[in-house]
This record gives sequence, C-alpha cells and structure tokens, in this order.
Amino acid sequence: MTEKIRPFNLAVLVYMSQVGIVVFTLPRTLADYFGTNGWLFLIPCFLLVSFNIYLISCVYRLGKGRSVFDILEQSVPKLLLYPLYAALITVWMLFGCVIGKKYVLLFQMLAFPTTNPMVFKLMFDLLAFMLIIKGIYAISRAATMFFWITLWMYLLLLWVLPDFNWVRLTPFILQGGHDQIKGGLEVYGAFLGYEMSLLLFPYISKAKGSMAAIQAGNAYLSFSYINLGLISFGIFSQDQLKQLLYPLLDILAYIQFPFVERLENLLYGFFLFLVLITAVMYWWGALETARRILPRLKQQVLTFMLLGITYSISFIPKTIDEVNTWIGFLGNVTIGIAFGLPLLLITLLLIQKKGEKRDG
Amino acid sequence: MPKQQDQQERLSLRHILQEFEECADLTQREFPEIGAYIVYFSHSVDNLLLINQVLDPLSSLKRKKDLEQLLCESQFVPVTDSKTAVKGILGGGVAIFAADSVHLIDVFGPEARSVTESETESIIAGPHDAFVESATTNISLIRRRIRSSHLKVIHCAVGEVSKTDVYILYMKDIANLDYVKDLEGRIRRIETDAINDGGMLSQYIEDKPTSVFPQFLTTERPDVSSSKLVSGKILVLIDNSPTVISAPASFFEFFSSSDDYYERWVLGTALRLVRYVALLITLMLTALYVAVTSFHYEMIPESMLLTLAESRNRVPFPPVYEALMMEFTIELLREAGARLPTKVGQTIGIVGGIVIGQAAVQAGLTSNILIISVASSAIASFVIPSYLMSASLRVIRFGVIILAGVWGNMGLVFGIAVIVIHLCGLSSLGSSYLIPVAPMRSRDWKDVFIRAPFFALVTRPTQNQTSNPIRQKNRK
Repeated sequence: MTEKIRPFNLAVLVYMSQVGIVVFTLPRTLADYFGTNGWLFLIPCFLLVSFNIYLISCVYRLGKGRSVFDILEQSVPKLLLYPLYAALITVWMLFGCVIGKKYVLLFQMLAFPTTNPMVFKLMFDLLAFMLIIKGIYAISRAATMFFWITLWMYLLLLWVLPDFNWVRLTPFILQGGHDQIKGGLEVYGAFLGYEMSLLLFPYISKAKGSMAAIQAGNAYLSFSYINLGLISFGIFSQDQLKQLLYPLLDILAYIQFPFVERLENLLYGFFLFLVLITAVMYWWGALETARRILPRLKQQVLTFMLLGITYSISFIPKTIDEVNTWIGFLGNVTIGIAFGLPLLLITLLLIQKKGEKRDG
Repeated sequence: MPKQQDQQERLSLRHILQEFEECADLTQREFPEIGAYIVYFSHSVDNLLLINQVLDPLSSLKRKKDLEQLLCESQFVPVTDSKTAVKGILGGGVAIFAADSVHLIDVFGPEARSVTESETESIIAGPHDAFVESATTNISLIRRRIRSSHLKVIHCAVGEVSKTDVYILYMKDIANLDYVKDLEGRIRRIETDAINDGGMLSQYIEDKPTSVFPQFLTTERPDVSSSKLVSGKILVLIDNSPTVISAPASFFEFFSSSDDYYERWVLGTALRLVRYVALLITLMLTALYVAVTSFHYEMIPESMLLTLAESRNRVPFPPVYEALMMEFTIELLREAGARLPTKVGQTIGIVGGIVIGQAAVQAGLTSNILIISVASSAIASFVIPSYLMSASLRVIRFGVIILAGVWGNMGLVFGIAVIVIHLCGLSSLGSSYLIPVAPMRSRDWKDVFIRAPFFALVTRPTQNQTSNPIRQKNRK
C-alpha cells in the first residue's frame, strides 16, 4: 500500500509552503512601495507565479514524473552538479532558518521581551526536526492538519468587515509608491515556496490533477492575500498602512469577544503552523539535495546535522532588521532558483529527448 | 508382541501422569472391567457432557470389545503422541486410555461469567450485551449478528507458556486480505510467555508501540464489533478477555459511539461535535487558563478581570503549580474511584468534591475559576467514548499545561504542534492514523465529524481499503 500525495493534499502542501511570515508585513509593503490600491499588484504576482508553476509542470510532463535530481544527473556529470547542489542546500537551509528566526523574534517582541529568542528557536527547530525525520508523507499530513486547524482564522476577517469602507480605497491606482522593483521582489517573495513542488515529483500520485493542484494551491494563496490586502486597505487606508509595522497583528488585536480580547498573541501562535511548514519544506528540500551528495548517511543523522548547522547560523542575525536583510537577499536568490531551475531542467530534458530520438 | 505394545501404552499413560505430577486438580478414574483409564481437569469440563458422553457410557460397558466399539464413534479422537494428549486435557478434554489406544473427547465447559452489560462502554439506546471472557461465547455473539458464511475465523495460539487462543475474524468478500495477512503475521510473530488481555495483545502488534495513543480500537460491545466487521475491518478476539481489537483504526474513530447510529442523525451529529469540543477542552482549557493568568492578562476583558483577580489574590502559587496540583488531585480521585467498590467510590466522589470544591478555595490554595476549568477538563475527558483514548489525552494534558506555564500561549501552540506532528507519524496497519483528514478523503467525513442520515452513508471507510466499497444503494 504505497502512499502518494494526492491532488488535494498537494494543493494544501503547496499553499502551506507558500504562506509564511511575510503575511504580517504584506499590506504595509504593498502600501509603501505601490501606493494607493497597492493590493492590485498581487494580481500580476499571482499570474507570474502561475507561469512559473506552468514551467514546473512542463518539467513534470517532459520528465514523465522523474525526480529532478535524476534528470540533472543523467546529463550533467556529478562533479559539476555538486557545487550546484551545495548552493541549493545553502540557500534553502538559510532561507528556512531566517523565516523561523523572524517568527521567533516577532513573538519575542509581542509577548516575551526578556526571554532569549534562541530558546524559542530551539523549540521551533525541534518541531521541524520531529517532522522532517518522519518523511514527506508525514509532512504532507501535518500540512493538511495544520491547514484545517488554521482555516477558521479567515472567519475572523468577518469581524472587522463592518469597519471596511470603500472610500478608503480611493479611485487612484498605484499612486504614491516608490522603488517598485525592490518592492515587487519583496511582494513576490510572499509567494515563494511553490518551487519546492519540483522536488515532490517522485512522491505525488500520477493522477491527472497533480499539476492543477499546485496551481490551485497558489490560486488559493493569492485569493487569501488579495482578500487580506483589500481588507487592510479598506480598514486602514494607504497612509495609515504605511505607518503600521505589522498591519495583520493590528487587525487581530482589534478583535474582541465578551469573554476574551487582545487575541493577537494567541492567534499569532497559530501562525506557527503556517511558518513551520514553510521552513520545514525548505529544510526538507535541502535535505533531499544533501542526500544526493551523501547518500549513505542515515537520514536522521543528516537532518540533525543540517538543523544543527542552521541553528548555529541563526545566532548571527540578532535583530529583526538584520533578519529582514537576510530574508530580502535570500528571497531574491530563491526567486532566481524558482525560475532558473525549471528552465535548466526543461533545457536538459529537451536535449535528452533529442538525444533519444537520434539514438533510436 | 502384544506384551510389548501394552508396555508402550502404559508408558504413555505414565508419561501423561508424569507431565501432570504435582497437579492436585487433575482427576483420574479407572474402569477395571474394561481396562480403561480416564484423565481430565474437572474444572475445565462441562459436568453434564462428562456424565453423558464419558462416564455413563464407560460405566455401562462390560467387555473390552464394547469399549473398542464405543471408541470408534466420531466424538472420540484417537491420539498418538503425548503432546497432543496433554494439550487436549489442558483444553478441557478427557483422555481415555484403553489397552492399546488413547482417545480424546472434547467436553470443554468451564465456569464462565454470563453475558452482562458493559461497564466501560455503556450506552443509552441500543443493545446492552457485552463480551465476556470466553472467546467462544464472544464469537457466538458476533455470529448471531452476522449470519454469513463469509465471516471467516483464523485461529492462532499466543504465548509460549499460556498458549492463549486468539481468533482473527474478517468478512472474506469485504475485508482487505493484505491487512488480514499482515495482522496474522504480527500475531504469529509474538514471542512472549503469556498474554492476558486484548489491550495487552494490541500493544504487541501495533505499528508504534512506544506512542501514547492507542493505534487499534478496542471494544467490549458485540454490536460495535459486528458493525466494524461489515465495514471491512478485522477483529481480533483473545480468550479470557472481553476486549476485542478492531483494525485498522483512525484517530477520529475513537470519537464515535454506537449510539450515534441508534439515535436520529441530527442528535448523533450533535453528539459527535460535542465530543470534538470535549477533545479541545480536555487538552487546552486548563493550559489556556495557565497561559492567560501567567503571561497574558491583557486577554481578559475588564469585566472579568476583577472576578479573576479577586479569586486569585489569596493563592500563593504561580498558576502552573496551582493547575498541576488540582489536575493531579482530580487524577487521584478518578483512580481511587475506579479501584474502589461502587458504594465506597461514591463516597470518595463526594469527599473529593467537597475537598476540592470548597475547602481548597477557602484555604486559599486555589482559585474558583481554576476549579471550574479543571473540573470541565475532567468532565470533557470522560465524554470521549474510548477509555484508552481519554486516558491518553489526560496524560498529554499535563505536558501541555507545563508548556503553557513556561511559554504562555506559544507553549500551548507548541504543545498542539507536537501532538499533531506525533499523530502524523502514526499509522495503523500501515494506513495513516489521521485518515480521512490527512490524507484527505472527503467522502468519509460524513461519518466522522457528523453522522449523516443513513441514505447518505453509501460507502465503507476508505481506510479499510475494502474490495467492496459500496455498502448500500442510495435510495434517495
């Protein structure tokens, strides 16, 4: 009874890998860089990501569902591939690491200003370790469970809906922004995570809907981002959004029930599930790549080593600003990988196909 | 030659008696006229059967030749080796030693508890009979409900010393035979001296015996067992235990009860939802109290803040100690209530209620609100129909409370994450423990989170991987 990730679970896994820590700052980034009705910029981002996923599905079709590593290793000598693998491992490992660190620093700022954030980071890494050693199927199950556990939080947006006012959106479109390229990369970074589906090929069911599921995951993410963007612009207005550090937290803090209020730090806790899956997917990607270099090493040992290294590295960036710089840089590199890797694979596959035709 | 043969038989009888040396409960009788000798355990045989089938016929015989004729009847099974004879006697048989042969007759019928109501799985509507310690009675209770020749029974013996009978029951045309083979293999591979109960057996054959969660459902109810069988699950019955194992199982199965099906679907659905809320309360309520009162006072609305502050101002301990102390006391009370006879148990309940409810608050050891939250968690844990699952959750709760005491809300969330991640790694007979949520099987949701009307419950659960997934025609 071999298990495969089925389309629904794949869509959820892609969505959960995409949605991460950026969600807290997204409305401000949109308002700051793109000005009035900045949320509209999410639409071209969604389309670009869809195109990128289309490239990934081309790899899947041309490679007939083979592992991307097999495709690479068929055409390129291992000696040349190892530096590429090492680069991928480094970027993915560090990206997962800084995502986790930012989450932890934010929580420290919110509730435990005197506690050493590295203690929380250790717990975060422990959770990730527990999940990664169980393999991708367990990660997929956890993503699905966490998806259901966090889904109800969308209903909370209904609470703030009465304060939504169309007037605050203004009739102007994308006026008053600056550094659009920098901002564009930052916003696009909020969609990252889908590229991990490249590594999922051997684990997904051969059913027809698998590639559509990746698109569906991204579509759902875009839908929720657009919702969040629209509601944030309609509640705070562009100028106010620019002043807010973490607009989502402000929205959450606004929710009150007769028996409980100031829910933001409890709800922020629930975002752990989303951030954890994002970090775990990047670390899992790094692990899968590392296994190609060190195939004999036991998975647990390799995971422990990788996470040990990332934990040590996460001591370096100390403040949220430093972490943001790291995330900005690594995010740009990851965007490069998200486009570059499928293009490289498609080229290799086309060459391989030509070779096959010539041979026989 | 006949002399030599006689000696061989006598040796065999002697060997049997040697085997049972110092067994004061062994009964032996001789019939000198016909040269027969019988050996049996009087407590393992049915007296009426013994008299009718063995004692009366043998006493009425006058000649050795008549004995030979009698032993030709089919109920007397000839035995050639002493191992079989010993096993037969231990299994409630009578060994008859004639001049040149040994025969066994099965007159098994020990004293047994009669079929009564289950104490651990009581229900309001529906059949009230429950399994007893005799596996044959239990099988009969199931066969009575499923009159089909497709109900197959595999027999194995477990325990190097105890040789306990274990029966695997499955529906041939419904159950997945790979599961049956897997389960049978696991049971046959058990190497231990003795297994005394179904709960114990299940820990030997689970996918991950170190986990705190039970990976097979256990029940004492024949109606539940037979409904599991027809849904494609496999049952394991063990002799001398009223606990029956049903496999494979999913986490969510532990939250359904048989009365969900006997009552109207709306009520069944409401009860199921109540149980899931109970799960959340069991795990989180006290932990949330600890988190809020230790770190997040801002979460309490102003109107409630005064009441809470007033109730806590005399308590000298931090909330986490206060909560752990009260939870521990509740566990003590529960355990004491479970061990004592019902009448004394009730007294313990009253004394405990007064001590916890009033004295602890008056003495300033704990706050009123904590009492409410601890009591609600305890009550909620008893709402969960499976005792094993409810006990596991109660143990886990302590961990979540400690985490909440250390890191507040974040500790609580860490606790939930650890539980979910642990559950994601579990499987039952190789199938996901979290099915139908992860992996997602939306078709099964209508019999997991709700109890849809019967016309909508057309298919069998996906987890059972049955060859015959359609349960009924959709009449609507």
